[in-house]
Amino acid sequence: MTIGLRLFLSSAAFAIVIVLAYWFITREPAGTALLGFMAFGLSFVAGYMIVAEREADLWGDDARADNSAATGETVGEYSVRSPLPLATAAALTCVGLGLVISPTVAALGIIALLGLGALFIVQSV
Amino acid sequence: MSALAAETGSAEPRERFDALSWLTTTDHKRIGILYVCTSLFYLCVAGGIAIVIRTQLSRPENTLVSAPVYNQLFTLHGTAMIFLMVTPFAFGLANFVLPLQIGAPDMAFPRLNALSFWVFLCGGLVVFSGVLTSGGAAATGWTAYAPLSVLRIAGGSGQDLWIVGVLMVSIATILTSINFITTVFIYRAPGMTMWRIPIFTWEMVATSLLVLMAFPTLTADLAMLLIDRHLGGHFFDPAGGGNPILYQHLFWFFGHPEVYVMILPYFGVVSEIIPVFSRKPIFGYTGLVLAAFAIAGLSMGVWAHHMFTTGAVDDPFFSFMSFLIAVPTGVKFFNWIGTLWRGSITFATPMLFSMGFLMNFLLGGITGVMIASPPIDFQAHASYFIVAHMHYVLGGGSLFAIFAALFFWWPKMFGRKLREDLGKWTFWLLFIGFNVTFLPMHFMGLAGMPRRVYTYDASGPLPLLNFIATCGAYLMAVGVVLFAYNIVVSARDRTPVGPDPWGANSLEWATSSPPPETNFDTLPPIRSERPVFDARHPELDPGLAR
Repeated sequence: MTIGLRLFLSSAAFAIVIVLAYWFITREPAGTALLGFMAFGLSFVAGYMIVAEREADLWGDDARADNSAATGETVGEYSVRSPLPLATAAALTCVGLGLVISPTVAALGIIALLGLGALFIVQSV
Repeated sequence: MSALAAETGSAEPRERFDALSWLTTTDHKRIGILYVCTSLFYLCVAGGIAIVIRTQLSRPENTLVSAPVYNQLFTLHGTAMIFLMVTPFAFGLANFVLPLQIGAPDMAFPRLNALSFWVFLCGGLVVFSGVLTSGGAAATGWTAYAPLSVLRIAGGSGQDLWIVGVLMVSIATILTSINFITTVFIYRAPGMTMWRIPIFTWEMVATSLLVLMAFPTLTADLAMLLIDRHLGGHFFDPAGGGNPILYQHLFWFFGHPEVYVMILPYFGVVSEIIPVFSRKPIFGYTGLVLAAFAIAGLSMGVWAHHMFTTGAVDDPFFSFMSFLIAVPTGVKFFNWIGTLWRGSITFATPMLFSMGFLMNFLLGGITGVMIASPPIDFQAHASYFIVAHMHYVLGGGSLFAIFAALFFWWPKMFGRKLREDLGKWTFWLLFIGFNVTFLPMHFMGLAGMPRRVYTYDASGPLPLLNFIATCGAYLMAVGVVLFAYNIVVSARDRTPVGPDPWGANSLEWATSSPPPETNFDTLPPIRSERPVFDARHPELDPGLAR
C-alpha cells in the first residue's frame, strides 16, 4: 500500500470518526452534513485509489531506483505553450461578469467556453 | 557531467522579453513567477490600503475617509491579503519549487496549471473592479456575513463582483491543489520515495488536501449567496425563512481551514531554511510530516470556534478541538528548536526572517489558545484583540515566511541573489514595525475598541495606542519600499550565483539557477531527503537514509 493511499484512507477514517463524534455530541445538522460530505469525498478518493493502484508501478516508490529507471519510456508530451488557458480564463471571466452586468456577456462567455472545450478535446485526441 | 559539478550558474546574455511567451506559457516555473509577482502586486495594493486605514485611525474622529469608504477599504484589504496574496504566494512558490524538489519535469497538468493562474488573476481583477461601480466595492468585510451581504443594497454591484471574483479564485485554488497532489503522487523522480520528499512538498500536499476539503464549501456558499441576491433564493435571508447561521457554518467550514492553508506552506518554508542555516538535518522529519497532517485534520473540526458568540454551537466540542491543534503545532516548534540546537547557525536574511516568523507566530499561537476558550472569546470577539491575533498569525507568521522564501529562492528563480545588507535592514524595519503596529492592538481590544470601526472616542488609552500602531505601519511601509529597491539594485547585478548558493539540501539546488526548461540535465542519486547534501558529501553514508 502506497503512502498516498494510506494518506487518503487515514483521512477518510478520521473524517468518519469526526462526523460520528460530532453528531453524537452536538446533534447539529449543518456541521454534520458538511463533515459527512467531507467523509464521503475522502472515502470516494480512497476507493478510487485502491482500484487505480493495482495498475500503478511508479519508479518514485522504489527506494533503490536510479535515473536509468526513468529512461526508455515515452510518458507523453508536454505542451510548453498554449493559448487555451488564457482564453478559457477570459471566457470564464465573461461568464462571471455577465452574471452581474449583462446576461448577453454571460451567454457569450458560455459559448466561448464550449468552443474552447471542443478545441481542447480535438487537440487532446 | 553531474549537475552539481557544473558550477556554471546561468551566465547567459539577457534574453529579450517576449510577452506572448509569458501569456501562453505552461512552464511551471514561469507560472510560479507569475503567481509570485501577482501576489506581490496585491501585497502592495493591500498594504497601501492598510496605510490609509492606519492613517484614518491615527487620531480620534479623523475625517480622512468616510465610514462607507472605510468599510470598502477593510473589505478589500482583507480580501486581497487572504485570497489574493498569502494563499496565492504559497501556490506560486510551490509551482516553482515543488516539481524541482521531487525531480519532476513539470506539473502533472501544465495547461490546467496555467488555467488556474489566469482564473486566479481574473478573479482578483473582478473583485477590485467593484471600485469602478457607482456604489463602490464590496463593504461587508472579507467574511461577507449574511444577512448583510444578502441585502442587494449592501455594496450593490460591487458586492456581486466580490462574490464572483472570490468564486473564481476558489475554483482556481481547487484546480491547483488537484495538480499538486497528482504531481507529488505520480511524478516523483526515481528513488524519490514519499518519505524522502522535502518538508515543504509535504506541507503542500497537506495544504492541497485541506483545500480539497474546505474550498468546495466556499464555492457552494458563494453560489448560494448569489442565488439569494439575484434568483430569489432564501438560504440566508431570515425574512424569507433562511438562516444566517447556516452562512456562518458554511463560511467557517472553509474559513478556519483556510487559516491553515495560509500557514502550512510557510511551516514548510521555515522547515527548509532552518536546517540550511543551522548546518544540520531537520530534527524529527517524520514528526513534522505527521504534525502537518494532524493540523490539517484537526483544522476541519474547529470551524465553529469563530461562532461561539452566536450561542448556536456546541462550545465545549469546538473549544476542545481548538486546544488540541496546539499539540501538533507545538511538535513543529519543538522540531525547529531541535534543529537549531547546537547547530552552526548563520543569520543570513532568510534565516532572520525565519526567526521572525517563529517569534511572531508563537505570540499569535498563544493568543489563539487564549481565544479558543469561550469565556475569553466572549470578551475578545470582534475586538482589536482578534485583529492583533489574526495579524500575528498571518502577518507575523506567513508574511515573514514569505520574505524568507523570497530571499532564499530568489537566486534559484532569477539566477542572482538579493543584497544581504538591504535584506537585513528590511527585516529589522519589518520586524520592529510589525510589533509596534500589532502589539498595541491587543491592548486596544482589551480596552474595548471594536474591529472595523472608522473612528473612536478621544478619551482613554485608545488615541495613544492607535498613534503608536500607525507609526509602526509606516515603518513597515518603509521596509517594503526598501525590499522593492533591493529588487531593482539586485537586478542590475549580473553575477551568476551557481546552482547552490546557500549549501542547501533538497533537489532544486542540483540544477542551474535559473533552471533549464526541462528542469534538470541530470539528477543526482536520491537516497535520502537530502540528495544534494549527499552528492556534496559522498564520504558520508547515505545508507542512513530511509
